[in-house]
Amino acid sequence: MSESTVPASNANASEKMASLLKEAENLKSKLEEERQKLNDVNLSNVAERLEQIAYVNIKPRKVLKGHQAKVLCTDWSPDKRHIISSSQDGRLIIWDAFTTNKEHAVTMPTTWIMACAYAPSGNFVACGGLDNKVTVYPITSDEEMAAKKRTVGTHTSYMSCCIYPNSDQQILTGSGDSTCALWDVESGQLLQSFHGHSGDVMAIDLAPNETGNTFVSGSCDRMAFIWDMRSGHVVQSFEGHQSDVNSVKFHPCGDAIATGSDDSSCRLYDMRADREVAVFAKESIIFGVNSVDFSVSGRLLFAGYNDYTVNLWDTLKSERVCLLYGHENKVSCVQVSPDGTALSTGSWDYTIRVWA
Amino acid sequence: MDVMSSSLQQQRVVVDQLRREAAIDRQTVSESCAKMMKYITEHEQEDYLWTGFTSQKVNPFREKSSCTAL
Repeated sequence: MSESTVPASNANASEKMASLLKEAENLKSKLEEERQKLNDVNLSNVAERLEQIAYVNIKPRKVLKGHQAKVLCTDWSPDKRHIISSSQDGRLIIWDAFTTNKEHAVTMPTTWIMACAYAPSGNFVACGGLDNKVTVYPITSDEEMAAKKRTVGTHTSYMSCCIYPNSDQQILTGSGDSTCALWDVESGQLLQSFHGHSGDVMAIDLAPNETGNTFVSGSCDRMAFIWDMRSGHVVQSFEGHQSDVNSVKFHPCGDAIATGSDDSSCRLYDMRADREVAVFAKESIIFGVNSVDFSVSGRLLFAGYNDYTVNLWDTLKSERVCLLYGHENKVSCVQVSPDGTALSTGSWDYTIRVWA
Repeated sequence: MDVMSSSLQQQRVVVDQLRREAAIDRQTVSESCAKMMKYITEHEQEDYLWTGFTSQKVNPFREKSSCTAL
């Protein structure tokens, strides 16, 4: 076929495609160049002058027993005392972490409740998992909780994570359908959907600053994205992990994020410098990371691993401070309490532990 | 033609994304890390898991003493 027989519109499209591909290449190399220009120091070298964290006095304090299968997610109540947990057994349990008493238990019509989150008021919980839905329960009596539940949103695959971004009125979810979504609780309306990942979204976290319009997501496409909640656009993207990103968390300063991955490393990405600034890994650590969280100042990074341990990392020096032993199976979730006094860890050994 | 226009559309999304990322303001690693270290220093005293409690009595999760004074 001679060139003259190719329809004009097709030739036009090919030209456009070629020019878009070229622009993408140029932008990528420009981005890399800019980031490299600003890479003037190494964080762990700068941190050398800081005193080493020789010792932390963190002990196992409570064991919460009651689930009949793997604990998949936990969340601290804003009252700094209660914990909600969700499990493979299809149950939600609300615990008094001071006394270890179970205050409420709700059985859902699904197994694998992969996510649960307290509303800012502490009066509602959102949860979901293999049912692809995000469901809201008011925290009242057990009977009333089951009767007054409300389905807010539905994904086309499992819901892996959920969070209340600003008020009890909205819920942000992440899903195995590769998207995140912002829902209006009252109407169940989809307010914004977030497309960009090319793999299952495993985790989301909200930026700690006042405006509350920025969140981060981690995905099986090995990327972490920073999103603008209003526009629905990706603002920044971070790569480096060699496998699924299972967990993402904002540094309390609001300008960095930590990630935990199946590649057995955690990483710190600085948003102002727009690049990776630390890798938390050791040759002896060969198991995946399921969950990460920062201490209140952001100096310590807690990470839960598939080898049943929790590792404490010095965020600035990239050194391991110590290990927390206790769980008898994979550690699926770790979370520092809102006032920074305690760490909760959930595990496939059916228990939740509180360390302080 | 449909395949072509949909892949064109996809590529436009990729380029728009890269344009936005290229346009953001950046700082040097040294500047940004200095700010992070300043934040950490300012909040050191509130970080009980790092620096501990001034007294175990204020730790809400400590084991209550098993003996009581009569």
